[in-house]
Amino acid sequence: MIKIKTLKNNNRMSTQELLQMIYKKIEEGHTDFEIEACGQHDIGGALWSKVEKPLYFRVTNPGQRVGAMAMDGTKIVVEGSAPADVGWLNSGAEIVVKGDAGDTAAHCAAGGKIFVAGRVGTRSGALMKHDPKFEPPQFWVLKNTGSFSFEFMGGGIAVVCGYDCEELNSVLGDRSCVGMVGGVVYVRGNVEGLSPSVEQVPLDKFDKDFLKSGMPEFLKEIDRLDLKNKLLDFSEWTKIIPIPKELKKKKLPVKDFIKNEWFSDGLFGDLVEDNGEVYGLAEEGKARLRKPEWDKNLCVGCDLCIKNCPQNAIKKESDNYVSEDEKCIGCGICSAVCPRKAWKMIVNR
Amino acid sequence: MAAVKINEIHKSDLPWIVEYDESKCIQCGKCTAVCSFNAIKPAVEYRKKTNSILEKDKLEKVLVIKQNISLDNYCHGCGMCANVCPNGAIKLIRNKDDKYSVAYRSQKADSFKKGGRSNLNTEGRTLDKIKVGRISQMTDPSLDAQRHTFELRTPFGRVLKADKLNFGVKDGNIIETTKLPPNRWIYPIIFGDMSIGAVSWRMWEAMAIATAYLNEVMGIPIRMCTGEGGIPTKLLKSKYVKYMILQIASGHFGWNRIIKAMPDMTEDPAGILIKIGQGAKPGDGGLLLANKVAKYVQEIRGVPKADLLSPPTHQGLYSIEESVQKMFLSMNAAFKFKVPVAIKVAASVTSVSVYNNLLRDPYNIVGGFFLDGLAAGTGAAHEISLNHTGHPITSKLRDCYLAAVHQGRQGEIPLFAGGGLGQTGSFAADAFKLICLGANGVFTGRMLMEIAGCVGSDTGRCNACNTGLCPAGIAAQNENLVKRLDVDKVAQNLVNYILATDIELKKLMAPIGCSSLPVGRSDALITVDKHISNRLDIQYAC
Repeated sequence: MIKIKTLKNNNRMSTQELLQMIYKKIEEGHTDFEIEACGQHDIGGALWSKVEKPLYFRVTNPGQRVGAMAMDGTKIVVEGSAPADVGWLNSGAEIVVKGDAGDTAAHCAAGGKIFVAGRVGTRSGALMKHDPKFEPPQFWVLKNTGSFSFEFMGGGIAVVCGYDCEELNSVLGDRSCVGMVGGVVYVRGNVEGLSPSVEQVPLDKFDKDFLKSGMPEFLKEIDRLDLKNKLLDFSEWTKIIPIPKELKKKKLPVKDFIKNEWFSDGLFGDLVEDNGEVYGLAEEGKARLRKPEWDKNLCVGCDLCIKNCPQNAIKKESDNYVSEDEKCIGCGICSAVCPRKAWKMIVNR
Repeated sequence: MAAVKINEIHKSDLPWIVEYDESKCIQCGKCTAVCSFNAIKPAVEYRKKTNSILEKDKLEKVLVIKQNISLDNYCHGCGMCANVCPNGAIKLIRNKDDKYSVAYRSQKADSFKKGGRSNLNTEGRTLDKIKVGRISQMTDPSLDAQRHTFELRTPFGRVLKADKLNFGVKDGNIIETTKLPPNRWIYPIIFGDMSIGAVSWRMWEAMAIATAYLNEVMGIPIRMCTGEGGIPTKLLKSKYVKYMILQIASGHFGWNRIIKAMPDMTEDPAGILIKIGQGAKPGDGGLLLANKVAKYVQEIRGVPKADLLSPPTHQGLYSIEESVQKMFLSMNAAFKFKVPVAIKVAASVTSVSVYNNLLRDPYNIVGGFFLDGLAAGTGAAHEISLNHTGHPITSKLRDCYLAAVHQGRQGEIPLFAGGGLGQTGSFAADAFKLICLGANGVFTGRMLMEIAGCVGSDTGRCNACNTGLCPAGIAAQNENLVKRLDVDKVAQNLVNYILATDIELKKLMAPIGCSSLPVGRSDALITVDKHISNRLDIQYAC
């Protein structure tokens, strides 16, 4: 086992120096590290060994991005808390934080398991993903998350146990799961301010089996097996999943709102006569703006009106010319072609 | 045939020339049937049958479509004829050398009236010369407009500064020691005040439905100002009245029925807007010409069929102080001090004095200041007022906001701006920029008309709202025209447009990193015009 102390005689090793040292040791075939860190970043990430043994890091006092881009075959245990971005882009490592984790824990994680024994900060679990060729990422939190958690989550499994959070209004913080399109968040305790694009539903058998099999491993890693029975009381659990697009609440069309909710005879029903009929442009009958009126005394019976009416609305009944309302659109051609102005256009009321 | 004389009206005097292509016409009559202005007619033309010079007097009669050459029945360019023509045989050409308004004045000895918009807005719009220029994803992290949640809410009502809040503690709980002025958090867009009468009953109902739907179904707390032409009693007595801002203007039309309905009202209205003036024709009262005073309009306004000219000012008001004491106090008292009361004035050189005066409001009864700019529309106005009076909205809104800022009193009396928003097709951008310049919200009537199918334009098409012959049935009162308007579709389109605007407002809020309204965030704006930069105190960029 390689032990690295990053602070000697008040001289702090830089992140780059520490990482270079780790690369060298791995190159030499070492796989087991104990690092007394002093805020150095990116410990444990994007590393692999040529020897057939897992990489193991036991870390205290790390900086940001512990296990960022960490891979299959890496295990990282943080004794105590870790700042922001634990397991950022984790692609397969098992990362255990025995205290709290900072903001954006598990951000963009797409593989592996992240276990946190305390709370996690804002935007934790944001953009988690699941590549179907691999196992989904898991993100277990004993207590609660900050606001905007699981924002834009695209896949994977998150478990927020809500332990010791009974007084909180929401163990997922405010505005959780905004833009979540995939994956599942199991949660125990109060949830408030969820995005409308997700739904909170009861667990099914599959969910319970998953929690039953995963919970002991999680609790063992964080040394809290004593909580097993308490946390496996499923009456306090729900899960949050995105609402599939096809099931998203169809909006009531306005015409149905008018039909079902609005005044049955319209707002002006007692003031104007209006049955709601919509007139087309240049329509026949009562929709006409104008209509023809025939004066027998002027008519010479030339039939030009009958011949020119585009609607064939005019006919001769014995000695009278009649324009049929249900055919006439009120264009005025009869009046225009009449040599004696026997047809006159008047306002149609 | 009678001789043509020079001192008559000619086709070349009219604002629009009807261009008719006889070879395409099938004489279906639709164009003349649809024309609400009676501006075209079928006519018989005489043509020479052959080109031979030997045969004389061989004329044939041909049926054609002709333009009426008349001061009264003339083409307004609405284009309905072209819309219904199956063959594209008819179209309208704008007459650049139009002499109509000269002819009208010289023959009628009357001032020329029109509706809709001014058509002299040729200088270019200030708002179009302003861009949202502070978008730095590094210093102000941008939000995701589609997926993040935003608070598009603005106060309507008097806002008290923290040190003016009268809170006390009783039994360990915070209590109000004196009553706080009423305040409502509403959507920053208000459906502008168009009266029943100015618009048709179908248009008004469609706006009311859209308002109710946006609130009840979509959870968007938009408010509609009723305009001053009365309100159907059943709306007053319904739950939907809580989305309505009742207007009182100098004509006081419809208030009899409002007062009578009070005991039966189950909800308070959203607010009251005292209209002093409007941006399109400052100094003028409302004008509803008799041809639009339909029977039901007479009924709810309590007047006979006549030209309805509201007085240019509230007759009991002689000073700003009096308007505060009398109008604000009485309108607050009307609903027992539970309903915010705001005032609407036309933007003017003196708007800041008025706003400063209101800001002193010792009684906490001034709930909002609405400023209406000169590019606003109107149902009817004298053309001279529409084209030559008024004050642009942008600088005056800014002046008022900065006047409040200099006293540390911004936000105490919310500012709402309107007048020509969306003129160049960018309503959400106009609203956003005005909000950044200090508006708490905006109001619009124009957009509602355009969404409903108004064919008018800022370059002089139609704008015949005053005639009662609106070809779209929006500003008409004649049943045959009003029934062209499809209430369901207009309501749906209004809703859709607001939903689209909501997305677009977020698309401007998100990049500057604001999840709540950026009221007064003028640092987000730049302008490519040095004068605008100086006048509005925003950064010049080139």
